Amino acid sequence: MTANPRYRRFFRIDRGDADVEVGVDEELRFHFDMTVRDLMAKGMSPDDARREAERRFGDVQHTRESLTSLDRERAGRERRTEWFGNAAQDIRYAARGLRKKPGFTLAVVLTLGLGIGANATMFGIVDQLLFRPPAQLPDPGAVNRIYLSRRDDGKDFTGSSMQYRRYEDLTNWTTSFSETAAFWNTKFAVGSGDASREMVVEAASASLWRLFGAKPVIGRFFANDEDRAPEGAPVAVLGYGFWQSKYGGRQDVLGAQLHLGRSELTIIGVAPKGFLGTSATPPAVFVPITRIAAEIDAGNRPGKRYFESYNMSWLEMIARRKPGVSVKAASADLTNAYLRSYAAHRAMSPSLTPAEIANPRGIAASVVKERGPRPGQDTKVATWLVGVAAIVLIIACANVGNLLLARALRRRREIAVRLALGISRGRLLAQLLTESVLLAMLGGVAGMMIAQWGGGILRASLLPKIEQTNSFGDPRILAFTAVATLVAGLLTGIAPALQAGRSDLAATLKAGAREGTYSRSPLRTGLLVMQGALSVVLLVGAGLFVRSLHNVKSVRLGYDVGKVLYVNPEMRGAKLAKPEKAQLRNRLLDAARGLREVAQASRTITVPFYMTMEDDIFVTGIDSVNKLGDFTEQVGSPEYFETMGTRIIRGRPFAAADRDGAPRVMVVSQSMAKVIWKGRDAIGQCVRIGADTMPCTTVIGISEDIKHGSLGADDQGLNYYLPIDQTGQDQGGLFVRTRGSAVAQTEIVRRSLQKLMPGDSYVNVTPLDEIVNPEMRPWQLGATMFAVFGGLALLVAAVGLYSVIAYNVAQRMHEMGVRVALGAQTRDVVRIVVVEGVRVAVVAVVIGVGVSLLAGRWVAPLLFETSARDPLVYAGVGSLLIIIALAASLVPGIRAARVDPSVALRAD
Amino acid sequence: MAAANDLDLLKGTLDLLILKALTWGPMHGYALVRWVSQTTDDDLQIEEGALYTSLHRLENRGFVRSEWGLSENNRKAKFYQHTALGRRQLRSQEALWTRYARAVFKVLQTS
Repeated sequence: MTANPRYRRFFRIDRGDADVEVGVDEELRFHFDMTVRDLMAKGMSPDDARREAERRFGDVQHTRESLTSLDRERAGRERRTEWFGNAAQDIRYAARGLRKKPGFTLAVVLTLGLGIGANATMFGIVDQLLFRPPAQLPDPGAVNRIYLSRRDDGKDFTGSSMQYRRYEDLTNWTTSFSETAAFWNTKFAVGSGDASREMVVEAASASLWRLFGAKPVIGRFFANDEDRAPEGAPVAVLGYGFWQSKYGGRQDVLGAQLHLGRSELTIIGVAPKGFLGTSATPPAVFVPITRIAAEIDAGNRPGKRYFESYNMSWLEMIARRKPGVSVKAASADLTNAYLRSYAAHRAMSPSLTPAEIANPRGIAASVVKERGPRPGQDTKVATWLVGVAAIVLIIACANVGNLLLARALRRRREIAVRLALGISRGRLLAQLLTESVLLAMLGGVAGMMIAQWGGGILRASLLPKIEQTNSFGDPRILAFTAVATLVAGLLTGIAPALQAGRSDLAATLKAGAREGTYSRSPLRTGLLVMQGALSVVLLVGAGLFVRSLHNVKSVRLGYDVGKVLYVNPEMRGAKLAKPEKAQLRNRLLDAARGLREVAQASRTITVPFYMTMEDDIFVTGIDSVNKLGDFTEQVGSPEYFETMGTRIIRGRPFAAADRDGAPRVMVVSQSMAKVIWKGRDAIGQCVRIGADTMPCTTVIGISEDIKHGSLGADDQGLNYYLPIDQTGQDQGGLFVRTRGSAVAQTEIVRRSLQKLMPGDSYVNVTPLDEIVNPEMRPWQLGATMFAVFGGLALLVAAVGLYSVIAYNVAQRMHEMGVRVALGAQTRDVVRIVVVEGVRVAVVAVVIGVGVSLLAGRWVAPLLFETSARDPLVYAGVGSLLIIIALAASLVPGIRAARVDPSVALRAD
Repeated sequence: MAAANDLDLLKGTLDLLILKALTWGPMHGYALVRWVSQTTDDDLQIEEGALYTSLHRLENRGFVRSEWGLSENNRKAKFYQHTALGRRQLRSQEALWTRYARAVFKVLQTS
């Protein structure tokens, strides 16, 4: 473009639509005015001139409209181009700035990545636990998981497990549901011989297929007439994954035989890909529930069959409501049916609490188990951890905001110059936000990687029941991460943007880099205090959970966990008579004792946290002993106590002489002795077991209490022990006490004992550790996660504190120089700096402790015998933070004291 | 717009005239109108409104751009000038027109 002498440019181009119209009118007016002027100069009268001008022009109105619409189109296009141009420019500018400072960028990206990653991980877990209905279930909102609740011994019990008979009653006597289904997710040995493996098996009623509206890939599903008491048809539907892996997806699998437990089943179909039924993990096989029930029943003592009595609670129930039936109405309907069923139950077992007291109720709850009335402890902890992860993100944002703010302060002059050169504050704001959003996006990518990798470790180690998912492939996690990233970007950008928007142009420009620049930034200090306070909250949480975990671990279980193996023979098809079964078990016992690695072994029937037995007990002179508590029955050989490491406090354990036919003997726990005989000596007392007509069983010893059902104080330790020779010789398995760690000997023991097993039968050998440890997992999870997140938060806060103090010191070099020149000692200068840092920390601790005390109320139920106000934890965390603050400000303090006054004063 | 119908053929011509006019340097709409009528000795009888429409269309298509400025008598006026694209367009259209006119003229000569 060549400079034109005839005009100078001083108007901006048209922007808005209003501008466009004004512009067109102005241009036309100018045209007419000029035309009229020229015509009048040629001698026309003003009126003639105007008429002539209009004639020459043509249709003014039409032209005006077409000009306006043309210009509008162009203005819009230019606005868009300008916007994109600006955005591209901002991104280029931000990217260049970040590339120039790789250390800063890395720190910010990592900080945000950790924050976002923690959130993505927790979101993935909680989403899976709470918000995913079973896969392929149409209209999950209309499907309910059924819970039953009743009151017993003054306590409310709510549970989802019920008897087959109860399921039938609830199905027959309700009208609210279009379909009900029973299921039981379990593990069975599938296959035969060496190829047999424990696999996930879903036992389901035939109605499950209809409830899900599922269609078989090949073959068919089992129908109602194949799922009938007393014994369902021996048929199986394969899970898609199992069909692919075991049978290579072959079509001719239909009609083939499949060995499952004691049954030979005929394969009749294959379930659709990804069909899980109600199971969390893909079942290998689906079997009619009446088939499985008959199989379990066969192993039980003779008596009423499973479909006749209300003896065995084992299955769960889901139901689809008819259209228009509310959840409330369905629950009421269930309650009525349950009342009727309860009456039938009580007619069979008169000892059952009367319905007026038991108040049986049916509950139609969410089909998602963890949202129902009985969520797992893991879920509660995981829900908490969502909050913890959010706090980590807030801390990360505060820290990054602080770093960006420091940068903004350093760039104050640059920003002032740019404002002075005419950049609009809006554009400046857009530029600063672009920078922080760009950083957040990089952080988001880092976060996804952290979620993928760290989340995998977390799930594998702490939440084994939750299936692994690919974070990158999950649109919900991706969407969540995108939102978290955007929020983080805006949050971190706000502080520096506010600062930039506020700066006083003239003052900043006039001041040198030194003069007038030192003022504590209240915004930065505020962010710092917030970070510190939130770190305190997280660390207090960590401390409380660590204490809980410690308390859980130091609970005296009453037996050794690390040295004991549980051996469980699975008979599978090998049909032995009772004496043979007993002989086999005794042979196993002898073989185990013969092993070099084994210190001692004993027969057992029950296993802590795994299998419990209770029986009615009667003591002369005491009205209904069973009202005093839950007495658990253990059965073992004479070496039982030695094997388990359970101490005999008084009296003696069983001896070989206490065999079948000899006088009946028992050992009772301390607490049981105290509860029943209250101060009198328990030894020598007579107890009748099973019925008050049974012969006396004499107490011969008192043992320490064991934890059998729960780690907490709610397990009262009311246990008694019977010699296996006087009870069920043919049942149960072994406890084996190894010389070294039990886990290491598992395989040796299994291999040696397997040799004795006849036919298809086999032994399962499980370290007691594996059975007991899951009980501690909630606290393990809480302690680990709070500690990891709390540690991260502390690290981030410490770095933040250091950077702010170091920055302040750098700003005050001049002042420090003056002080040193005036004779200040190193000590004085260091003190000035350190006091500033510690003051921030003290304020943070005070606020953090206050918040923790308030929040403690909610976390208390998750702790194990630890007060949410444990003074040790609070004191420890408080001093930790102050020590960290001390350390973080000491380095800049010493640097300030080493200032050479002549250099500091001459600088700038 | 009866005149416009006559000038269907000349729609492209109008664009060409404007682009040609602007080779003298930036000018406002009125100056442009004057230049066209003077240069063509009013032979073409162009409606001035059509000229403005053409001008704005050229601007919309990126062949010219406009800026507000001051006229010779110190009034606010909108000045137009070529863009690089406009200059290229002018060159190619000029060549096309010359060839076309020569061909038509040749035909008329032979009859």
